[in-house]
Amino acid sequence: MDIFAYLEGMAAQHGPSGQEARVAEWLSERFRPLCDSVTIDALYNVIAVKKATLPTPDGSPAPKVMLCAHQDEIALMVADILPDGTLRMGSVGGVDPRILPAATVTVHATGEGQSRALTGVVGALPPHLMSAQDRERNYTRDELFVDLCMAPEKVKKLVRIGDLITLQGPAVRLLNHRAASKTMDDRSCVGCLLLAAERLQKMQHMCDLYFVCSSQEEVGGRGAAVAAYTVDPDLAVVLDVTFAPTPQCPPDTTCPLDTPAVTYGPYVQHRLLERLKQTAKENGMKLSGEHAERWTGTDADDVQIARSGIPCVLISLPVKYMHTTVELLDMDTLSECGRLLALFLAGIDEKWEDGLWN
Amino acid sequence: MFELLKTLADAYGATGRETKVANVIEGLVREHVDSVRRDNLGNLICVKNGTDPNGKRIMLSAHMDHIGFIVAAVEKEGFLRVAPVGGIGLNVSQTRHVRFENGVQGVLVRQPLKEGETAAMKHFYIDIGAKDAEEALSMVQLGDVAVYANDCFRLGQHRVAAPAMDDRVACALLVSLLKDLPPVRDTVVAVFSTQEEVGCRGAKTAAYGVEPDVGIALDVTANGDTPENKLPAVKLGEGICVKIMDQCSISNPELVQELLTAGEKAGVPTQREVLPFGGTDAGSMQLTRSGVRVCTLSIPCRNVHSACEVIDLRDVEAGKQLLMEYLRG
Amino acid sequence: MELSRLCEMQGISGREELVRMAIFRECAEVLGEENVKIDRVGNVIAHKACAKADAPRVMVAAHMDEVGLMVINAADDGLLQVRNIGGIDPRVLVSKRVKVGYDVPARDGKPAQEALSGVIGAMAIHLQSAADRKNVLPIENLYVDIGAKDKDEALAKAPEGTPVTFDTPSSPIGDGCLLCKAGDDRVGCYNLLRLLHAEVTCDTWFAFTCQEEVGSRGAYGAAFRIQPDVALILEGTTANDAGDPDETQKVCRLGKGVAVSFMDKASMAQPELFAEMMKLAEGSGIAHQVKMAVAGGNDSGPAQRAGCGAKVCVLSVPCRYIHSPSTVLCLEDVEAQYLLAKAYLTR
Repeated sequence: MDIFAYLEGMAAQHGPSGQEARVAEWLSERFRPLCDSVTIDALYNVIAVKKATLPTPDGSPAPKVMLCAHQDEIALMVADILPDGTLRMGSVGGVDPRILPAATVTVHATGEGQSRALTGVVGALPPHLMSAQDRERNYTRDELFVDLCMAPEKVKKLVRIGDLITLQGPAVRLLNHRAASKTMDDRSCVGCLLLAAERLQKMQHMCDLYFVCSSQEEVGGRGAAVAAYTVDPDLAVVLDVTFAPTPQCPPDTTCPLDTPAVTYGPYVQHRLLERLKQTAKENGMKLSGEHAERWTGTDADDVQIARSGIPCVLISLPVKYMHTTVELLDMDTLSECGRLLALFLAGIDEKWEDGLWN
Repeated sequence: MFELLKTLADAYGATGRETKVANVIEGLVREHVDSVRRDNLGNLICVKNGTDPNGKRIMLSAHMDHIGFIVAAVEKEGFLRVAPVGGIGLNVSQTRHVRFENGVQGVLVRQPLKEGETAAMKHFYIDIGAKDAEEALSMVQLGDVAVYANDCFRLGQHRVAAPAMDDRVACALLVSLLKDLPPVRDTVVAVFSTQEEVGCRGAKTAAYGVEPDVGIALDVTANGDTPENKLPAVKLGEGICVKIMDQCSISNPELVQELLTAGEKAGVPTQREVLPFGGTDAGSMQLTRSGVRVCTLSIPCRNVHSACEVIDLRDVEAGKQLLMEYLRG
Repeated sequence: MELSRLCEMQGISGREELVRMAIFRECAEVLGEENVKIDRVGNVIAHKACAKADAPRVMVAAHMDEVGLMVINAADDGLLQVRNIGGIDPRVLVSKRVKVGYDVPARDGKPAQEALSGVIGAMAIHLQSAADRKNVLPIENLYVDIGAKDKDEALAKAPEGTPVTFDTPSSPIGDGCLLCKAGDDRVGCYNLLRLLHAEVTCDTWFAFTCQEEVGSRGAYGAAFRIQPDVALILEGTTANDAGDPDETQKVCRLGKGVAVSFMDKASMAQPELFAEMMKLAEGSGIAHQVKMAVAGGNDSGPAQRAGCGAKVCVLSVPCRYIHSPSTVLCLEDVEAQYLLAKAYLTR
């Protein structure tokens, strides 16, 4: 897989939490050649199944492993249309208002029964007209508006409350195999799933694999919770992005950009984690560690408590400038995450559960 | 509709103590549905079988519970110290008439604050007229819940005010719908849910048992048409709201469209709602089992979570007509 | 197993293996191995059927894990950086002894491991500024000293993720009280193990859950598997009865019996079940009190809302200085919790 081509493709998709029909369709097409079946569920989760290629020696059922990375993105929504035709914004997921002033956005207008993509600019009260004190602070989302530069009557015809507003952030290639775009969080990790699936075409595996592009992670792991219920796996590997160091980041909260990271803490099954680390070591891969003394802030939090409980491990891909339209990563690290995942899965056999709990 | 609404609004039913209001509702709907049951959380689950055995199962959920004040301690002078059950606004709770399930009446009072203190629930007490702790404990027990006393009245031509409007107005809509709904293709499961105000707890277990294909919550929403209230951009009397999003659920876009179309066909006004906060039973239903397509129909309501919640009956009627049209397909 | 021994066992959230295996063995001994299971998230679930047909399905739960610390890194001078697992007020940590890693007996050909001793120090009072004396040292500025010379030695002995527990030998204190760590909730585990012997009249499922202190993680799976009609949660809860708090702020009192909750942050007790508990306690002369605060969360939340839902009630042993190295509880209250749960299961 050409990683940059994939990143360009995924960054061109619009898939805000809860409205992922189109991005789910696009990702399904990527998985279809690599898997036995692909379905999209009621919450737009993509579930791609690749059956075991090796029987278990004792004839027991193949272990079921769920691999999960989320497909949705943070976005905005038209909350109100003001008398002058500018738009007040609501937030879908955690949009940092600092990235908004003077940003260009796409308003997915649905008025008159038609879909139109309109370009807008995020405006605000100019600094010249603000008190010195107000200039010192960031704008809040309530103070900002989207300007379509159209007559209010026309806006009211074309745009309706609830229409989506997405950010623009096409992929750009940087030095040293690095790239930046929007939605590296977390479609870059969906890329890791694809890379793993691709590698596994040439490897043997004893477990049934359920690749899940989960929906609605940015509003609280909702897609992963129901996907885990449907799949009912024996164990799960969740992939998400984490913070790479940037100036002023507190120490102990970041992981180096050039190394895949693994999370340790109560929500992660520690023996499975040991196994993952062993896999990396045996294959000459470096890993960094990330602690989570409580929730991990990823789909793992919801997968772990689905049904009768599911042991999880969490692999993280370090990204700079999280939740902006220029999320930056190292494509070699992305590739390594895919390799680690494939090797880990190839090592899961019918004895995977031995010694897990003592 | 007003008489029905008043009957339901006057019934006692604090969060976690919904038996009485459930009894009232069961009496009203029993003859109009095929089966009625209650689950371990006290949800009242009423099923109206569809004409097509292969039809969908559509869950409609309106919550019965009402925010209140739970007795946590008794002062030796006989005053009751309370903790909030659900999202209580302290500013709207000063010197309020409250009542308990057993009929005991009380006055909820905030004691004077000392300098530098900010008001908190611990500064409130309920005076039930007892002379000491012993007498107080002969009237109520630790764990009893008081609610704003029933006071349901008309406001102008179309509007009604009452304390438990959230969410008895939706219960009234649902009861009225069950009475008038002709046989339809899909099975309709009307759930009068419990413990919504402490995190949509009842709807979670009810939906697990019901296993719906589609879930529609009926609830009130805030308004944007009174001084200094801007969002959500909805107005009283301008129609039933189809929710696009709130903090707990993003409605299924196709279902939103189907409901808006049903409203149009029924010839009733609808409003599109984007609520930057809050949540409804739709949040719980959506995450049930393998996931459920959900939406919320909301009735705009002024002064939500106060003793004077105000709605417009025309919005309730619009909601009912929209649902009738949707269910008739 | 003795309560004092159970409290001394090490088992922070997510790392309950020692407690789990000890409890598993005892359950298997009493009920037979075929009736005991360790599930996919590490709960121990034991089943005791009863002769009665249509008996209600009852889950009785207590959690195995305790609050503690976890190593996340070491400083160049060999001091271990840690984070709290579960809610710990950093003010109770300064000047305390801890165990770093677990004491693990030899098994399966692997040699025994011994936990390291560690201390949590602080700048001497003589050297503190006025501001230092006033401000709380956050967990980020507290270190565990195991005597290591440098970062490499420290992380070789205690790699990232190593569990750290309070080092508190259980001992009697005062009038019929026990001083211990992990009273929350080994006291519930202790009573649950005793209840294995009861002649139950319900279809009884004993759930020893994991990861309660980090959000009742184990209870979700346990309750989903069991799908109970009724869930009783045996807990340790905050007592605020020493010193001179207002009467109405005491939450519950040591020596006044098992505390029955009408509501906490996780759930509201089912009103009829709550009333039945009060009646059973009164009828059998079991010391009891109503917990006078809506505070704390516990396994009752997931237990109430898994599957089609359950009626829940929480029965707690009051604990002073809960979530600290020096928890104090009263043995008569422990007995009362046992008697009330037993009265319900055998009624």
